Amino acid sequence: MKHTIKTGLAAAALCLALPAMADVVVVVNPKAAEASMTKDQVAQFFLGKSSAMSPIDQPESAPARAEFYKKVTDKDASQVKALWSKLVFTGKATMPKEAADSAAVKKMVASDPKAIGYIDKSAVDASVKVIYTP
Amino acid sequence: MKKRIIASALAMSFVAPCAFAQDAVRISGFGTGALTWTNTDKAEFARPNQASGAKKDVTTGVDSNFGVQADYAVNSWLSVTGQGLVRKDAQDDFGAELAWAFAKAKVSDDVSIRVGRMGVPAFMISDYRNVGYANTMLRPPAEVYSQMLFNTVDGADVSWQHSYGDTTYTAQFAVGKSKVDIAGGPSLDGRRLTALNLVAEHGPLTVRFGRVDGHLTLNGSTSLATLLTSLNNVAAGYKFPQAAQLANDINVRDKKASFTSLGATLDWNNVVVQSEFAKRKTDAYINDTTSWYVMGGYRFGKFLPYYSHARLSIDDSVHNGMPAACPAGYPAACTPTLAALNGIVANLRYTGVGQGEQQTDTIGLRWDFHSSVALKVQFDRVRPNKAAGLLINAQPGFKGPVTVGAVALDFVF
Repeated sequence: MKHTIKTGLAAAALCLALPAMADVVVVVNPKAAEASMTKDQVAQFFLGKSSAMSPIDQPESAPARAEFYKKVTDKDASQVKALWSKLVFTGKATMPKEAADSAAVKKMVASDPKAIGYIDKSAVDASVKVIYTP
Repeated sequence: MKKRIIASALAMSFVAPCAFAQDAVRISGFGTGALTWTNTDKAEFARPNQASGAKKDVTTGVDSNFGVQADYAVNSWLSVTGQGLVRKDAQDDFGAELAWAFAKAKVSDDVSIRVGRMGVPAFMISDYRNVGYANTMLRPPAEVYSQMLFNTVDGADVSWQHSYGDTTYTAQFAVGKSKVDIAGGPSLDGRRLTALNLVAEHGPLTVRFGRVDGHLTLNGSTSLATLLTSLNNVAAGYKFPQAAQLANDINVRDKKASFTSLGATLDWNNVVVQSEFAKRKTDAYINDTTSWYVMGGYRFGKFLPYYSHARLSIDDSVHNGMPAACPAGYPAACTPTLAALNGIVANLRYTGVGQGEQQTDTIGLRWDFHSSVALKVQFDRVRPNKAAGLLINAQPGFKGPVTVGAVALDFVF
């Protein structure tokens, strides 16, 4: 009995941990000129250093978001927020648009040749082009 | 009939934007709720150009503020931004001001032009110095940030931003005019202002150079007017041309001024460094100064303790060519009059907003305890070199140094 509970707990813990470990890839519109980008090139769009492409974020609660920023920009959520508040409150840039989940990001990227987003690797299909894998 | 058409057209114009307002208009805001206190009642600690400050009793007035910004994207290349800011400034109450209101046209991926009221890019953190959440320290070091009082420029600017390899370069050039109310009643006009701001960002390192030039006019200062009149009377009555020359040199009427600054920030792994160095030059009684600060911090997860040292020193002030005493045969009142005037002139170095010399050591802690909210605690040891430094409303018998404490909650939404 005790053993069953333990196994159950372990399984539950595993399930909880799974989404956070999901692999994130960076995608653009298939029509975009670039075939690949470096980590720093991707980061500059999401840190407001370049407006050549329009970044699309996932919600703050999405595990993909935390993972993306940690891996691509080496910054945690509050550092990224502080950075963006510098840009927003100087009128230099507006916060990236937010999409509900990977599917919604994909849809926005597929319809905008200048959009760039990050999605779960498992969600990749022909409507988008993977440009960077962290 | 005609009226009706206009009315419906107006109604339409109000209704139409609302239809896609959700996407096009963005409202965001920032604020700081703070308590500030010091260990003296004989002088007050304030931010640059505030009319009153903190003493032993805890006050919210020094470091609290609240700002709201609306960004409206008219189309893919044109946007409009307005920002309102509430804080205590030269007038001694929480007043609202229009921080910015400008239209921005994106000419290309690299170039944009703005027209309207914008921040003067004089400092490294010029544009977001009121946004506590965007800064490590609780407040910008007064030693440097008191040396250029214009917050906004009414005019136009052009910005260019481009990345070469992993380095991003930004160049910004603004022209326009500005006006700021000075604590105590006068106002300072800045005409023919130009501002150049050059920034290079490479990974964790950002360096910048800034230069602001303009012509200053101080209006409504009764003490300055009285001094000038007295000097001119001495010049005419006692035939001292030096006094007239001095009056002319002191006066702030269409006088050239410049503010040059260098800055750098580093955010490398857990190490945070921020520093600025600035030189001010004016052709009036306002001191030529050197000011700088260095701040260093180390991030332990959500905690960021930091230390900063800041210093303001006078390089040069107005040259006084008047003699100390009158030649033999002059009326008996002459020498005492000169002595009194010389005393006032010597004191100009320490009189007025941003005049004087001081240094400050600061320790603080930023705690990002919640998404979009940070708590800060900061202690400053302020050491005026002479008189009250940048402390205000000093009473006879005041003597530094002063310890300042503050607790602040910064948020953005």
